Amino acid sequence: MDEPTRTAAKPRHRLSRRTVVIGAGAAAGGLAVLRVLGLHTVGPDPRALLDPTSAPVVNTKDWVSPLDAPAAQVAQLLRRATFGMTKAQYETALTEGFQKTLDRLIETPVATPKDLAGADAASQAKPINVTALQSWWLDQILASPSPFAERMTYFWHGHFTSDFRKVTTQAPYIYWQNLTWRKNALGSFRDLLYQVTVDPGMLRYLDLGQSTGKAPNENYSRELMELFTMGVGTFSEDDVRAGAKALAGWREPLTQPMVDYLIARAQQNGRPAPKNLVADSTKTGVFEPARAYRGSVTYLGVTKQWDTNMVLDRIMQQDSVAPYITTKVLREFVMQDPPADYVNRIAAAWKKSGYDIKTLMRDVFTSPEFLQPVAYRSLVKSPTELMVHIARALEAPQLSKTIAQSGAGMGQALFDPPEVGGWPSNASWVSSNNVLTRVNFVVTTLGGMQKLPAFGNAHQTHIDGIVSEPTAQLLNSAADDPTRWLILLASPEFQLK
Amino acid sequence: MTMQNIGIDKISRRDFLGKGLVFGAGVRGLAAGYAAVPDVFAKAVYSAKSAGVTNDRVLVMIQLGGGNDGLQTVIPIGDAKYRDLRPTLGKEADAALAIDKDHGLHQNLKGIKSLYDQGKVAIVEGVGYPTPSFSHFDSIRVWETGDPTRRQQDGWLGKTIAKNYDSAGHPLVGCATGTTSTPGMLRDLQATLTVINDQASFKFQGNGDNVDRVMGTLYTGTPGIYGALFDTAMSTVRDTVAQLKTSAAKYVPKASYSDNQKLVFSSKNQLAAALQLAAELIVTGTGVKVLHVTLGGFDTHYTEQTRHADLMTYLDAAVSAFHQDLTAYGMADRVLIATWSEFGRRPVENASGGTDHGTAAPVFLIGDPVKGGLYGQGPNLAKLDPSQNVGFNVDFRSVYQEILSGHLGLDGQDVLGASFDAIPFMRAAGS
Repeated sequence: MDEPTRTAAKPRHRLSRRTVVIGAGAAAGGLAVLRVLGLHTVGPDPRALLDPTSAPVVNTKDWVSPLDAPAAQVAQLLRRATFGMTKAQYETALTEGFQKTLDRLIETPVATPKDLAGADAASQAKPINVTALQSWWLDQILASPSPFAERMTYFWHGHFTSDFRKVTTQAPYIYWQNLTWRKNALGSFRDLLYQVTVDPGMLRYLDLGQSTGKAPNENYSRELMELFTMGVGTFSEDDVRAGAKALAGWREPLTQPMVDYLIARAQQNGRPAPKNLVADSTKTGVFEPARAYRGSVTYLGVTKQWDTNMVLDRIMQQDSVAPYITTKVLREFVMQDPPADYVNRIAAAWKKSGYDIKTLMRDVFTSPEFLQPVAYRSLVKSPTELMVHIARALEAPQLSKTIAQSGAGMGQALFDPPEVGGWPSNASWVSSNNVLTRVNFVVTTLGGMQKLPAFGNAHQTHIDGIVSEPTAQLLNSAADDPTRWLILLASPEFQLK
Repeated sequence: MTMQNIGIDKISRRDFLGKGLVFGAGVRGLAAGYAAVPDVFAKAVYSAKSAGVTNDRVLVMIQLGGGNDGLQTVIPIGDAKYRDLRPTLGKEADAALAIDKDHGLHQNLKGIKSLYDQGKVAIVEGVGYPTPSFSHFDSIRVWETGDPTRRQQDGWLGKTIAKNYDSAGHPLVGCATGTTSTPGMLRDLQATLTVINDQASFKFQGNGDNVDRVMGTLYTGTPGIYGALFDTAMSTVRDTVAQLKTSAAKYVPKASYSDNQKLVFSSKNQLAAALQLAAELIVTGTGVKVLHVTLGGFDTHYTEQTRHADLMTYLDAAVSAFHQDLTAYGMADRVLIATWSEFGRRPVENASGGTDHGTAAPVFLIGDPVKGGLYGQGPNLAKLDPSQNVGFNVDFRSVYQEILSGHLGLDGQDVLGASFDAIPFMRAAGS
């Protein structure tokens, strides 16, 4: 694969006369920046450059890819594989180099978060608080010693979707699901797929827990193929129906607090306690053969009597699975439209590995495409990626609750994806509403902080020092660190990963 | 799968040939779709357009997300098969609000029934498209783009805006309220449109005016494949913030909007608030032409009766308040409300007291300019297809055609790619 050379690049849209005039306005804008936060900080000289010991920010007109330099390589890895970085994390990775950093990220054993108080005992009497749940996960994202595992947990959360509205907070299911996705985030995709299928939250979200052989519910059967493994157009409606029969027979598990609630409610209403109501010992679905389908069906071309594992094995035999998942991974971690030969190469190696997720991800990050110019700034940060990177840049892990509460306004409340297809991606994160709410998050966060870290060379650390003319002018003309942080964190450059 | 791909590469590629690329992506990069958008592109396309506002009509699309069950909305009360196929859900026939001996509206659509009785509701039955997809995402895309072959990327309303309205300085020509992202129907890079989730917070925080100015500078000439998208979004934000400042001061709702509807699963969308903001934008003369709002939760595979009934109440109350508000402001004769949903649901009820993905379903067209009544043809439950679904009787583009030509006064052909027989549910102007 011949890599396009940087030297061949000619500066393109050179600033037009009009743009330069606007640019001149930028300097004036820069003066006004003084009070944009309402902080009333007044710098000694409004035209003061950045940290006097560092060079002024140099405008590059175009964002010429810096990915041939080791510093930019590790920064790209940290932005994409770990929700962004603190200055210290950046410096550690810089010392280690790309390969060692990647090894560390992938091979660090998955750290288990501390329990969310009360979540295991959730019932209709004591539901889980959604903000507490979101903050609990964000705390883990911000502080976990296995940040890549958190990033993959988040990826699977957007792939194998469920939302707290339908799953409800009156059972531990949505909390358990997060633990299960994390535990299986870097293992075998086939194992993960089984855990997904029998996950109590998923049983409820896509109705498999209601499906019986006598009256199969097609919801899970369809999305299992269409969204989770094979992709649209790779199966027939008959396969959906056959799959629904073949998968039927699961029910949601009951916990003791859930049983206690049901008994108490019956007593309250003067009804006898429901019969045979006992808590299950498992945290996964319970299979009841009496509710399953008896008889053979034709599923994906094979006629026999099926069980859940056979269904999943049959799916994993389909040629569509590896390219489908690989495309989604590349779109999340490398580029919006990966060329077919790239997808096929990575997919083939993944299939050969027996669908080992670590192998897939290592191949993705070590692929030459990951560091090619076309990959540079080719992905838009999701709201969570953006806010976590901001919290890291500002050394402010205490922001987890603020982040949890700010996501919805930008289109991403954790545990509440907009649809079963998961989160938007890249360009679809960019709307007028979301651009405004992103900027406002930066403004209010900076305004609310008692103490900010010194800006120093933050533009180098976080955005490789590759900035547009207006960003450079504004940074150079900003009078103080709060203003510099505002320009950096609200800049278009920082929205990309 | 992603239904969210915006056709950036397409537009930028076309525009960029001959202008070169950033990042030295070269010819290979171009082939792969990694062309960049020039900094001046975003604004230039708007100023190139001629003024094309031909009338003062406004369209409000309401998406019923998840696949609304048409048979529970317009109930075939005279059809015994309906009760046979739906042992639980079929009981709704008894309580339905009859509009004739064969049709009844769901009992919770009392406000819409009252509008129907006033001749302000057209119901087109049996609306669908050939070889229906049972995938939410595929079928949503069909309805959004107006293209059953699923080749188009841009939304039919985005195209409508881009082709017909000069939106320079008018960010609200196309507007989605009560959501954070651009709905697929409005998607078109050459259309200016704004998305307002919550009006009260749609302003710059901190020292707002200064932040506003600084962001205007910061988002200028942004390089890269998303540059124009970001710059356009920011310039739209600034225009919208300015517009909302004046419109909010001129508007007091003249109806009671409430999102306190009890639902089995809480709603992601605040439909009443979204429609209230829509009313504000319409009555304060912001130049809005096309609005899009969403109510989700219609994917009723399970315990449908309660869930669907609650959604009907919610929809009915929000639409009724909206119509009442517009009427009080003397604007009701300009506004068409149209519902859409990716598909209806299977006639036979499943064992979870719900229904699975189906095909054709009725579309509602509500408002004073509508010629009320029943159009199209309802489902034949005695003759289901091999997938146990009903066939479609009206191509959904025939509904779009009438919206474009009968309501907005536009030639629909450039948007729909062909001419479709319009279903004549709009009154002739002035009648």
